[in-house]
Formats: sequence, C-alpha cells, structure tokens
Amino acid sequence: MEDLKEKTKGMKRRNFIQKTTTATAFLTLGGLSLQSFNTKTTKHITILHTNDTHSHIDPFPSSHARYANKGGVARRATLVESIRNENPNTLLLDAGDIFQGTPYFNFYGGELEFKLMSMLKYDAVTIGNHDFDNGVDGLYAQLPHAKFDFLSANYDFTDTILNTHVKPYKVFIKDDIKIGIFGLGIELKGLVGEKNYKETKYLNPIEIAQDMSRILKDDEQCDLVICLSHLGYHYKPESKLIGDLELASKTKNIDLIIGGHTHTFLPKPTVTKNSIGENVLVNQVGCYGINVGRIDFYFDEDKNKASKGKSIIV
Amino acid sequence: MKKFIILFFTITLLFSCKNKPPHLIRIEGKQLPITEEINSVRAIEDYIEPYKQKVEKEMTAVLSFTPIELNRDDGMLESSLGNLMADLSYQKANPIFNSRTGENIDFAMFNFGGIRAGIAKGNITMEHAFNLMPFENELVVVELTSNKIDELVNYLITENKAHPLSKQVNLIMRENGFDFKINKTPIDTAKTYFVLTSDYLQNGGDNMNFFKNPVNLYKIDYKLRNAIIDYFKETDTIKVKLDGRFKRKN
Repeated sequence: MEDLKEKTKGMKRRNFIQKTTTATAFLTLGGLSLQSFNTKTTKHITILHTNDTHSHIDPFPSSHARYANKGGVARRATLVESIRNENPNTLLLDAGDIFQGTPYFNFYGGELEFKLMSMLKYDAVTIGNHDFDNGVDGLYAQLPHAKFDFLSANYDFTDTILNTHVKPYKVFIKDDIKIGIFGLGIELKGLVGEKNYKETKYLNPIEIAQDMSRILKDDEQCDLVICLSHLGYHYKPESKLIGDLELASKTKNIDLIIGGHTHTFLPKPTVTKNSIGENVLVNQVGCYGINVGRIDFYFDEDKNKASKGKSIIV
Repeated sequence: MKKFIILFFTITLLFSCKNKPPHLIRIEGKQLPITEEINSVRAIEDYIEPYKQKVEKEMTAVLSFTPIELNRDDGMLESSLGNLMADLSYQKANPIFNSRTGENIDFAMFNFGGIRAGIAKGNITMEHAFNLMPFENELVVVELTSNKIDELVNYLITENKAHPLSKQVNLIMRENGFDFKINKTPIDTAKTYFVLTSDYLQNGGDNMNFFKNPVNLYKIDYKLRNAIIDYFKETDTIKVKLDGRFKRKN
C-alpha cells in the first residue's frame, strides 16, 4: 500500500480515492496480484477454438509429409489446461467437422472424439457437414458421450431425431460478462447425402445471423456475441456459397466469427468490417487439431475510458 | 471520516459497475500451434490407448495379396490401381444395380485424384483400403444421354490423365480424332448409358459436370471403400494389368 500511495501522491484527490478504493475492494475479495492495481476494473475473457479436427486424436507421425509431429488431443489438453489456469474465464469452442478422417471414426462412430472433447471441457460446438457422415441417427447415438452444447441456428432439426438436442444459441456468463454464442452450418444439399441429413432444413445463414445477433445483443443483453460457423472462410463472388467474410459484412453486433469447413490456415485472425462499418474478427485455424485459436477480450467498466473505443491486436 | 469516504466510494463504484454495461476495450488474437514441445496429459493418453490398440489390430488385418506394386502412376492414361478400382467397383455394384433395375451398368469412371495412396507388393491390409479411400464416398449410377457421354469423352481427352475407367471402355486418341467404344460398340445417339461413379463426382467434383443433372440417378447404398474391402476379402491374389483401355496412338 505504501508504494501505491507514493505513486499517486501527485494525482488529483478524486482520482486517488477511486484508485485506493478499487484496490481495497479487490483486496477484500482476496488473492488478486498487484497487477490488479493497474488494470483496475478490467475483465478478461479468453476464447479458445478449434475446427475441422476430423477425428485426429493422435499427433501426426514424424514421417508425415505436411504435418509431422503436429497436433494431438493429449497435447491440446495441456495447452487448454494451462490457459484455463491462467484465466478461469475461458471458453473452449469447436466450429464443426469433429467426425471423419481417421479409423477412430470408422470404428467407433465419434464416441472417442466426443469423450475426449468432454474431458477437455469443451463448452460448445457447431455441426459440420461431416458430422452427418453416419446420418442424424449416427450423431444422435453419440450425444450421450458429449458433455457440451451443440449449437446451430440455421439447421432446423424439428422433424428429425435431433429435435431439442441442438440449440440455436447459448448465453454463457463468465465474470459477469454475458457471452452469446450461436451456430451456423453450411448448405447440406449436394454436400451430404439426403439419407444422412434426412428432414433437416437448411435456413439462410445471413438472415438467421441477423436475427441471432439482434436477439443476443438486444434481448439477451450480451456483452460479447460470437458466431460459430461451419460455412467456410470465403468463396469466389460467382459462387452461390456464403462464407464468413460475406457473413461479417452483412451483419452487425457480432464481435467474433469462428469459422471452419475450408480448412483455412490464416497467418493471423482477419479484421473486417460489418454492415455498419464496425470491426469484426474472423478466425479459423486450419484443421486436424494442428492449431488452437486464442482470442482475448478485455473489458473496462470505467466510464471515462469508454469513449476511447476498442483496439484490436492480431 | 476518511474511512467513511472510502466506504462510500467503494459502494458507489460497485453499484455503478452493476448498472453500467462493461465496455470492450481491447481484443487480442493469435494462433497457438500444437507441437511436440507441448507435453501430453497422461490421463488423456491412457484413455486413448485401448481404443488405439483395437484400431491398430483391425487395421493390420490382412485382406488380400498383390504380387506387384499397385499405384496410379504406372501407365500413361491408365494405371494398375485405377483399373483395379474401376473394375472391382463395377463387379461389386452391377449385381446390385441389375437386381433393382433389370439393367446393366455400361462402365465405371472415377477420378485420378481420388486414388489417395498406392499399395506396395505383398499383403494388402485394412489400412491399405482406408488409405486408398479415406472418404465416405458412395457408389452411384448415373443415366446419361449420348450428348453427356460426348462431354465425358471430351473431358478425358482434354484432361489427358489416367482417370480410372473400367474395362468396358476403349478410348484411343489419335493425331486427328479419337475412337470411343463401350463394350466394343460405338456410341448410339438414341440410347442412354448407365455410368457407375461416386456421389462426390456426381455432384460435380473434379469438374465432372457431365454427371450433374443426369436423366436418372440411382443410389447403390454402397460405400466405395466397402466395395474395395469386400473385393479384397474375397480375392486371394489380386490380378491386374494395363490393357490399353485408354491410350494414345500416333
């Protein structure tokens, strides 16, 4: 406390009292490091994400041409655990295509993938086209092994066995910060056999995203809105497909789009503009569990700082 | 008095926190590679182990034997593995198609890129079948008009690649033109043709657009990989040769 008093001697009285009281309040709550004095009422949310892990459970062998010694769920577990220790206000998400790619899927139908993701404490995932590879029934059969939420706002599963098992969105609360997450999937017709997706209805992802972001921002009063997308990163203008960049440009109130499907390795997260010229972050981390994406959000409750706007460091 | 002021401000501050929405001031994004420098969580590794052992045991099961190496690069416009894949698919799918429609498949065609791995001389294991065909592609039969067959032939000539074709096909490229026959018969413009392929290619994969919008589409409900596995299981020794089904003659 002496150090703090020395430092703040020259400050205006009002400022001094605010700082001291804040520090006192934090100290009363207990256990926070000295770092807290400087950051004051800053809150910190960490989002970790994967996409297109495609049943890659073991690390790639050293003989692999492209991904030698990379990946591996047991290593991912270490990384996730250490980040959760550093910041307990962490969410772990996956943008779909958990299934298909190694014999683990062919022999166990996704059981091991879901069990391991539950052990890693995944919070929510969206559904990729390959997650239909054993049909809606195959996905349904593995749900008991998944201790995380399945989110999809533009797949209507009402007339399928998955009805009520997939939610359009979920609001997570971490350190009093409300984080609204909704899921989006790619058009299934032509990509997935009809006998696999059965009566699943695909709805326009842009219209749904506009609805979802309004619900999460206005009705649910979320501080953060995240879209978990399996639409793909970007398509040529002549393509009918809608990618994450197009989605970002035609919606508002979304802070982060976590993508998948196109197995896009981005050198760093993309910062793009939404329909009202605000920044949106779009990220995707390749495939096969080779990378984990990490996005840190810092919030400030100080009135004076609010007008300064946000900075994005990628 | 000083203590009172501090308490007052603390309460005011806490209260104002509750009512004022927090402002997002900073976002930091980065990518964390999963490398061998990161230790594994032992409990996860141990959990995976029994699954891994069972998979490894299944994958090393011997299904068949090949006296020669099978790959997709040993011919110019055909290959040992391409010929084998197309012929075995025809052999496995035609009885199913025939029992359902009373018709026979005219020929099978796949894509060069779809042959994902070669098979070395010796025992053929389950793992070979999975490496050869890691995808869940299903066999389908498309009924095509002769115009679409022309497109298909033009595609083969333009591509100039060893796309897998079954033995019913005979395509000879010459200096000025080509000969195309199915079962030793030229194309009949009044007839439609039944071509076996995969659902991936039927959907326009590898730009095989002639497979899109066929006269009729018949699903065989049989995965290409399962056809390969079943064929290997019932065939003691694989016999395959380059027979010039697609070639250039100058």
